[in-house]
Amino acid sequence: MLMHWIARREFTERLRDGRLYWAGGLVAVLLFTALAVGWAHQRGAHAEQVAAQAMDYRDWLHQDKRHPHDAAHQGMHAFKPEPPLSMVDAGINPYIGSTVWLQAHRQSEVKFNAAQDATGLQRFGNLSVGWILQVLGPLLVIVLGFNAFAGEREQGILRQTLSLGVAPLRLLAGKALALSALLAVLLVPAALVAAVAVAVGAEPGGRIDALLRLGAWSLGYAVYLGIFVFLVLGVSALSATSRMAITVLLALWIGQAVMAPRVLSELSRTWFPSPTRLEFNKALGAELKAVSNQVWQQNFGTTERWGRDVPLSKWGIALRLDDQASYPVYDRHYGRLWDTWEQQQKVQEWSGLLLPLLAVRSFSMGMAGTDFSHHRRFTTAAELHRRNIQDLMSKDLVAHADPLGDRHFSYQATADLWATVPPFDYHPPGAGWALRHQARSFLVLCVGLLLAAAFAAFATLRQRAL
Amino acid sequence: MSIHPPQGRRLLAVMRQEVRLMLTERGLWVVGALFLLLVAYALGNGLLQTAKRDRAQAAVAQADRDTRTAQRTLLEAIFAGTAQPTPFENPADPSRMASGYGGQHVLLPTAPLGPVALGQSDLFPSQYKVTNQSRVVFMNPSDIENPWHLLSGHFDLAFVIVYLLPLLIFALSYNLLSAERENGTLRLLLSQPLRLRTLLAGKLTVRAAVLLGPAVLLPVAVLWIARYAGLTAGDAGSTTLWWALLVGAYALFWFALVVAVNAFGASSATNAMVLVIAWVLLVLVAPVLLNLAVTQASPAPSRTELATRQRVVTAEAMKRYQDLLGTEYQHVGQGAILVPRDGKIEIAGRSLANYRIQREVDEAIRPALARFDAQQAQQQALLGRFGAVSPAAVAYEGMTALAGNGARRHARFDAQTVAHHDAWKGFFFPRIDARDALVPADFDRMPTFAWHEEPADLVRGQAALAVLQLLVPSLLLFGLAAWRLRRFSVA
Repeated sequence: MLMHWIARREFTERLRDGRLYWAGGLVAVLLFTALAVGWAHQRGAHAEQVAAQAMDYRDWLHQDKRHPHDAAHQGMHAFKPEPPLSMVDAGINPYIGSTVWLQAHRQSEVKFNAAQDATGLQRFGNLSVGWILQVLGPLLVIVLGFNAFAGEREQGILRQTLSLGVAPLRLLAGKALALSALLAVLLVPAALVAAVAVAVGAEPGGRIDALLRLGAWSLGYAVYLGIFVFLVLGVSALSATSRMAITVLLALWIGQAVMAPRVLSELSRTWFPSPTRLEFNKALGAELKAVSNQVWQQNFGTTERWGRDVPLSKWGIALRLDDQASYPVYDRHYGRLWDTWEQQQKVQEWSGLLLPLLAVRSFSMGMAGTDFSHHRRFTTAAELHRRNIQDLMSKDLVAHADPLGDRHFSYQATADLWATVPPFDYHPPGAGWALRHQARSFLVLCVGLLLAAAFAAFATLRQRAL
Repeated sequence: MSIHPPQGRRLLAVMRQEVRLMLTERGLWVVGALFLLLVAYALGNGLLQTAKRDRAQAAVAQADRDTRTAQRTLLEAIFAGTAQPTPFENPADPSRMASGYGGQHVLLPTAPLGPVALGQSDLFPSQYKVTNQSRVVFMNPSDIENPWHLLSGHFDLAFVIVYLLPLLIFALSYNLLSAERENGTLRLLLSQPLRLRTLLAGKLTVRAAVLLGPAVLLPVAVLWIARYAGLTAGDAGSTTLWWALLVGAYALFWFALVVAVNAFGASSATNAMVLVIAWVLLVLVAPVLLNLAVTQASPAPSRTELATRQRVVTAEAMKRYQDLLGTEYQHVGQGAILVPRDGKIEIAGRSLANYRIQREVDEAIRPALARFDAQQAQQQALLGRFGAVSPAAVAYEGMTALAGNGARRHARFDAQTVAHHDAWKGFFFPRIDARDALVPADFDRMPTFAWHEEPADLVRGQAALAVLQLLVPSLLLFGLAAWRLRRFSVA
C-alpha cells in the first residue's frame, strides 16, 4: 500500500514539473514518425519482393526450349522477404542487401544493399523505433529520474521520509514503479499502435508469429529500460547532489549509447579478424581448384578441362561432379567467414553485461528477424535452392544430352524440365527459433536487470535517516 | 569608455588567471586526459584501418600485376610455340582477356587525410574488378565486412570531434558565467576595470586552447609523422589547413552556444540541461531526421526492380544468342584452333555469345543505373542545401570530404571507373569483332586505370562552404549572447 502511495506521489510530481511532457513528447513524436516511416517502407519492400519473386519464377517456367546449362547460367533470383517487424527495427538489412542471384557454378553473395544508395549521414543512424528506444530510451529514464533520490536529499525530504520509518527498499520499489509507470504511459500506446501495424503488415498465416515476436521484442525493451530505471535510481541514491547524479548518468549514457557500439565493434574485429576480399577469394579459389582437380583426376584420369580425355558425351557428368565437389568447399569457406562474424557479434553481446545497449540491439534485431542469424538462414536456403537447380539441370544433361555424343550442345530441354524446379518459397523461421538464437542476449539483459536492481538496492540501503 | 581602459592586457590577465584556476581544478585534468585518450585511440584506429586498406589494395594491385606478367609470359610462349593455350586461359583471345580472366582492378587510393575520417570507406567500395561485363555486375560492394560493423560505424577522429568534443566543451564551460555569479565572484570581477566580454573572451580562449590543442595539433603532428610523404605532396597542406579550420569552426559553434546559454543568466544546472538537450537534438536527432527527409524527398530507385530488369535483359540476350552458346567446345580434341594464326584467332561460340550478351545487358541497363547516379547526386545536393540545420552533419560531411572518404569522391571514383570501363570495352570490342589475336605488344596498349584526384579548388570550395555554414550560426549565437549580455545581471 505504502509502495503504491510513494509511486503515486512520484508519478504526480513528474507530471507536474513538465519533464514528462517535453522529453516524453519529443520521444513520442519521434516514435510515431519512425513507425510511420518503417510501416511505409516495410509495406512497399514486401509487396515489391513478393511480386518480383513471383515474376522471376513465372519467367523461369516460360523459358523457351534451350540447353539446360544455359538455363542454369541464367538462373533465377531469390529475394529476401521483408519481415513484418522490420518496421520497428531494420537491423542489418540496409547493410546487407536482399537479392541473391542463383546462377551456375558459383555461390553468389547477397547484393543490392540499401546503404549503397544512401547519403553519408546514414552513419548517424537510421530512424527506427528500435534506434529511438535503444539510444533515447535510457536518456528519457535519466531525465525523468536523475533526482529521484538526490533531489529529495537536497531538499531534506529524504531524511524526513526515512525517519518516518519508511523502509528504504520500499521507497526504491515505489520510485521504480513510478518511473516504470511514466515510461509505460509513453510507450504502451506506441506499442499498441505498433502491434496493429505489425498485424496488418504480416501475411495472414504469419500474424500470430509476428505478434509473438513483437511481444518478445517488447519484453526485451522492458528489461532494457528496467535496467536503466534501477541504474538511475541507484546512482541518484549514491549522489550527494542532483548535479552529480545527472553528470554521472549522462557520462554513463554517452559511454554506452554513443561510444560503446563503435569501440566494441572495433575491438571484436581486432580479436576475430575477417579476411580481405582478396584473401577470401584466393583461399576459396585455390581449394575449389584443388578439389575439382582431384575429382577430374579420379573420374577422367586428367585435370585438363574439356580436353581430349573428356569428350562431349561426358560433359553433363563432368559438370555435375564439378558442381557437387564445390558444395562442401563453399560450405567450409562461407561457414568459416560467417562463424567469424558470429564470434564478433558474440563478443558484443557478452559486453552487453556492462553495456546493455549491445545486448538489446542484438535481441531487438533478432526478434525483428533482421539480424545475421536470419540472414544466414535465408542465404543458406537460397544456396540450397541454387544447388537443387544445378543438380536438376545436370541430371537432365546426363540423361538426355550426354547420350547425344558430339551433339551434346544441340540438346534442348522443354518446359517440362523447368517445371521440375520448385519455386523459391522461403519462410522465415518462427518466433521460437529467433528466441533460441537470441537466448544469450536475453540472458545478458536479464542478468543486467538483476545486477542493476541489486546495485539500486545496495545504494538505497545505504541511506540513513540521520 | 573611460571606465574601461584598453582591454588587451586585461585579457591576458584573465587568461593567466583562468589557466591558474583550471590547473588547480580536477575537472580540467580529467577532461583533458579523457579527450587526449579518445583522440589518440581514434587516430590510432584511423591509421590502423587505413593501413589495412592500403595493404589490401597493394595486395590486389600486386596480384593484378602478377596475373598480367604471367599472361604475357604465356602469350610469348604460345607465339614461340613452347606452350599451348587452354580454352579458358588464352591470353591471345581478346574475348577471354576482356573478361574475368584478364580483368584488372581499379583502386581508389587513400587520401592523405584518410585516417581522420573513415566515413563511408567501408560501405562504398574502393575497388572494382573491371571486365567486359555490365557494370551492374561488377560495380557492387566488394569488400568483405560484417554488416553489424557497417551498422555501428568506425571509431575515428571525426566521430570524436563531432560527437564528443561538444560534450567536453560543455564539461569545461557550461557554467562559464553562472558559476562566477553563483559564487558571487562575478560582481567582484566586474567591479574591476574589466569588461564582461573581455572576461568571456579570456575564459573561452583558454578552454578552446585546451581542447583544440589535442583536437587539431595532435592529429596533424601524428599524421605528419605517419604519412609524411602524403602530407607534404600536392595540396595536402591546404587540405589539412581547411580541416583544422573546419574543426575550429565546429568548436566555435558549440562555444557560441555555451556563451549564448550562459548569457540568459539561468543557473548552472539549467545551463547544463539546456546544452545537453541541444546536443541530443543537433547531434543525435537532426542528422537522422535530415537523412530521413533527404531519402524521402529523393528516394532511390528500386534495387529489386533493377535486379528484375537485369534478369529480363540477360534472358532476352541469352535467347538471342542461343545458337552461339550451343557451339561451345568445338575445340575439343583440336587444340590447334586456340592458337592465333596470321594475327587472327578463332573465338569459341560461347565466349563470343557471352561477350555479346554482356554488351547488350550493359547498354540496356545503362539508363537504369544513370537514374541511381542522378538520385544520389540529388540527395547529396539536398544535403548541401539543408545540411546547415545540423552543425554536426555539416562538420561530419565536411571532414569525410576532406579526408577523401565522402560521397563526392566516391561518386568521382565511380564515374572514373565507368570511363575506364568504356575505354576497356573500346579496346577489346573491336578486336573481338575482328577476331584479332592479341600480341605481346598489345599488353602495353591495354587501358590502365589512373585515378585523377579531385581538383583542389573543388575540395577547398566545399570546405569553405562548410566552414561558412558553421560560422554563420556561431555568429548569430554570439550576437544573441551580446544582446542578452547587455542586460546581464551580475547579482
